Amino acid sequence: MDGIKTDKLESSLLIVILDTNPVWWGKKKIAQDPMTLSHCVDCLTVLANSHLMVSHNNKLAVIAAHTDISTFLYPSSQPARPDIFKLPDDGQYEVFNSVESQLRTQLKTLIEADKAQVDYMEEQSSDSLLAGAMCMALCYIHRLEKECPIGESLTARILILKGSDDCPSQYMNFMNAVFTAQKQNVVIDACILDSESGLLQQACDITGGTYLNIPQAQGLLQYLLWVFLPDPSSRSKMALPPRAQVDYRAACFCHRNLIEIGYVCSVCLSIYCSFSPICSTCQTTFKIIGPQKLVKKKIKKP
Amino acid sequence: MADDDDKGYRWETEYEKTWEELQEDESGSLQASVNDILHRAKRRQLLEKVTNVRLGMMRHLFVVIDFSLAMADQDLKPTRHLATLKLLEYFVEEYFDQNPISQLGIIISLNKRAEKITELGGNPRRHIKALQDLTSRACQGEISLQNSLELALSTLRHMPSHASREVLFLMGSLTTCDPGDVRETVKSMVEANVRCSVIGLSAEVRLCKTLAQHTGGSYGVIIDESHFKDLLGQQVTPPPASSQTESSLIKMGFPHHALVGDKDKEEKPSMCMCHLDSGTAQGFSTSGYFCPQCKSKYCELPIECRACGLTLVSAPHLARSYHHLFPPDSFRELLTSDIIADGPVCCYACQVEILDPHVYTCDKCERHFCLDCDLFTHEVLHSCPGCASSRSLQTVQAGL
Amino acid sequence: MATTIATKAKKLACKDLHSFLRTLPPTVLDHLYCHPATCLAVFRDLPELSRHYVMRIMFVEQAVAQAVVRQWSTAPQEEQLEAAAALMELRVWYEKPLPGGMPGWLLNHVFRKNLHTALLGGGNPWIGNKDLTIDKYAKDIPFLDKYALERWECVLHFMVGSNQGTDGVNTDITDVLLHSGLMRVDEGEPSITAEGFQFLLMDTSSQVWFFLLQYLDTVQSRGMDLVECLTFLFQLSFSTLGKDYCTEGMSENQLRFLQHLREFGLVYQRKRKSHRYYPTRLAVNIVSGLSKAAVDTHRPGFIVVETNYRVYAYTDSPLQIALLALFCDMLYRFPNMAAANLSRTSVRAALSRGITADQILHYLQSHAHPEMLKNSPVVPPTITDQVKLWELERDRFKFNDGVMYNQFLSQADFELLRNYAKDMNVLVWEMPEKRVLIVTKSGHDDVKRFWKRQKASS
Repeated sequence: MDGIKTDKLESSLLIVILDTNPVWWGKKKIAQDPMTLSHCVDCLTVLANSHLMVSHNNKLAVIAAHTDISTFLYPSSQPARPDIFKLPDDGQYEVFNSVESQLRTQLKTLIEADKAQVDYMEEQSSDSLLAGAMCMALCYIHRLEKECPIGESLTARILILKGSDDCPSQYMNFMNAVFTAQKQNVVIDACILDSESGLLQQACDITGGTYLNIPQAQGLLQYLLWVFLPDPSSRSKMALPPRAQVDYRAACFCHRNLIEIGYVCSVCLSIYCSFSPICSTCQTTFKIIGPQKLVKKKIKKP
Repeated sequence: MADDDDKGYRWETEYEKTWEELQEDESGSLQASVNDILHRAKRRQLLEKVTNVRLGMMRHLFVVIDFSLAMADQDLKPTRHLATLKLLEYFVEEYFDQNPISQLGIIISLNKRAEKITELGGNPRRHIKALQDLTSRACQGEISLQNSLELALSTLRHMPSHASREVLFLMGSLTTCDPGDVRETVKSMVEANVRCSVIGLSAEVRLCKTLAQHTGGSYGVIIDESHFKDLLGQQVTPPPASSQTESSLIKMGFPHHALVGDKDKEEKPSMCMCHLDSGTAQGFSTSGYFCPQCKSKYCELPIECRACGLTLVSAPHLARSYHHLFPPDSFRELLTSDIIADGPVCCYACQVEILDPHVYTCDKCERHFCLDCDLFTHEVLHSCPGCASSRSLQTVQAGL
Repeated sequence: MATTIATKAKKLACKDLHSFLRTLPPTVLDHLYCHPATCLAVFRDLPELSRHYVMRIMFVEQAVAQAVVRQWSTAPQEEQLEAAAALMELRVWYEKPLPGGMPGWLLNHVFRKNLHTALLGGGNPWIGNKDLTIDKYAKDIPFLDKYALERWECVLHFMVGSNQGTDGVNTDITDVLLHSGLMRVDEGEPSITAEGFQFLLMDTSSQVWFFLLQYLDTVQSRGMDLVECLTFLFQLSFSTLGKDYCTEGMSENQLRFLQHLREFGLVYQRKRKSHRYYPTRLAVNIVSGLSKAAVDTHRPGFIVVETNYRVYAYTDSPLQIALLALFCDMLYRFPNMAAANLSRTSVRAALSRGITADQILHYLQSHAHPEMLKNSPVVPPTITDQVKLWELERDRFKFNDGVMYNQFLSQADFELLRNYAKDMNVLVWEMPEKRVLIVTKSGHDDVKRFWKRQKASS
């Protein structure tokens, strides 16, 4: 005899963070690379809809990480206007259709806002503010988990599609987000379109996600559907690319060299590659450790 | 000694009419009012957090557990003794999660004696194992506060001066049986710059209060088990460093993780140092972390190298502590009706439409957040989503 | 000398979509796949691994070698075979040798095309997907929920024979109920059967699904086309709650089907001739949500079960209380609540009606009060165990089909035959004193042949 069904209604939330850095995508366009933003968004839409197609309980959110803003592409914060929420005029499932149209509309708004500012803006950075988008994703997950009715469970994961460089100034925010994800059991996956990202390697390793650098731009969709569509719970059944070796060595704050042995400030935990008398981060002056104890004892005695 | 605590005892203060704060809403429900008070309390806790204070990041903490007969009491379920050990397991995990480069040791006190269970060390699993073993140990006799403090002091005294020295006393007994004048010991604790905190399980004891006050620690008496958990939770965050703590640069190793399949190296499996004594085949492999100084192998970090004494950590371990040092500013409370916007006010982070009369705003990035996100960002995330998505506010320089 | 003994057990089985589709002839399946909604529904109902197989080859036009497919997964062999078999059964893919002669899989191209359409767009719009003008009488979701529930409870009320609001039940519904064996005609009046009681204890979405399956069985006898009805049903399952759809473009059969669905409460239509209809919660996701959703999502639970066998039901619905009384001793009735006791007698009474322990427990769990849902497990384990023990009590007899051999002339004959049966592993029971033995039915032929040979040789 089998027991009563105890399996709860499970829903899976996928949050895709799309790197929309205009500098990086612009460079790709100039280099006539087959990887264009529109190609990437097409693939992303298929992935997003496929995720929704797998089960009707599945949920989706897409966030754009731009150079100086992060914004939700789907679901959009604006109330659904009747012209957005209209029935498709072809055979597409109406939910998929609305995802696609919202994604495109929001992305268009983002790009146009950028265009309007381009004249009186300083040079755009070639890195995107991923950490901000990750923080928003985690808040969104937190909210959905709270809203989840009793007796149902929600598992969430974040997929980051990134092309541009790592942003070193975001290290702290980034790591905070990663540790929060780890605490909340949120898996972070990364799909890298260009150069390797040390930060994301660490993020994936810490949260148990998959890190993949796409070898061919044309194959993006196949990689997305095969590697990133399965839920973390079902990944053990799939033959997926092996885990990469992650470099956890620290970089010193003074020269940004990777070091094996370093000196750490006891006040602010800044890392230095050689001994210096003053911490440049927190302005603490250090004493030399070696003879310290002897000095102290001598003073005490009389 | 004059009582310099101006607050006095709770039973001496005027009678609080706690129910007057509650107000029924139109449907006669108290829920909204209760929620409101809960939220306020939570926010107050956040606001109370002192920022911009130097913290003792490198903690050396001895946890002293009362094993006297008083711990066999059943007011915590199943007994004080077991409930305490269970909560401590959780505490140890949290402690090392939040203070990755700190150390911890366990002392128990029974039969007028103190006994060291684990030496100061940075391996959470060793301590948790020890705590689990302690569950089968019987509670006997009386405690000795003095002996316990002396024992802790004998080790803490030799800790480097940049580290913060702490003792956390979990005390169920109301009495202590000491060989000498315990006040002398309190004085020597003050001199050695050891911060002593006490969590009482039964009632307030004058001596403990004095001890905590003089050494700069905190003293709390639990109300129930969840309050116990809260009080322990407060001990997880690093305390402000005392003025006598010196600062210094500490030498640390950041070992590279060698995996199976390093092509250029010749692969010879070896035994890791952490499982040497266990006698099992566990830890016998080609992969592991190698101490950059003496090439001893370990299977996990953080750890202090057994051969050369170098502290081995990875960069993310240090990063786990950063949020204590650079906490996000607390948000300002605004009235939702004061915000001029076309359409409803939405939380920047979670997109929820804010129906609550209050909105919370970060002064730096000027984004609006809902109460849930305010609490979440300050308690768990430790980064403001608005500031993190704004280029001009990327100021803190840190690793990589 | 040989006597046959046979047993039979009866339990109401609710087929899921997969097993339903399996019963359909291949031509019907191929027809069904011509609509994107069906492909979506079928896709969602596939085993997890099969879904990933489909996703992986969805954009591959040629056949893929079976050896390659096998390498995609690290799951145990059985699970892989199961995944492949599920796809075969539903004709989602079929075997096709590669040019080199290697066995390969090829996705059913109609299925592929229409799944593409659902996912990416293109093709013809769905039936009646036409933007309507704003409805003057627009209905909101609470209204639709209330409407659907009222309609559905009508059917249930009719089944238990309570006279409350049964006037809306017409012959179509009665036909289906009679056809499915949930009710039978006794002295000219329909009355509920044992299966009917089991049906009542199912959660609403399973009830609707079961009912629809039975309805679809009768569709052809009504002269309607099964494919058209199913296609519309699948499409309805993917519509949005609280949104109005247009009846334009629907065939005559589908319009008739719509009227039937309206009677069951699956769609709301203000007037019979109205050109717009609203799907209700009963219809939305009926296909995909069924196997997973154990909880009635549109109605909060109301039952609290305590470890002391007390059952409290916060409801004033006579139907729900009548259902509870099937397996509980009712104690008190209050305006908004009823108290009852689970006892051995009451549960045994239910069991003897053909209701199983699992059905009782499932009912308690799926209607559990929100406060109860916070517990894990929802129903206290003592109750679960006890109800199951009560059921086992009735199961002390184990029935085996068998053939009895007796009237042996000598002990030696008996022992010879018994030992043979024992060696063959077909012996069920023996009694040497009376020289009686029973062998399984499957072993009977063998034993008989052996005995005849023995007799002939001696």
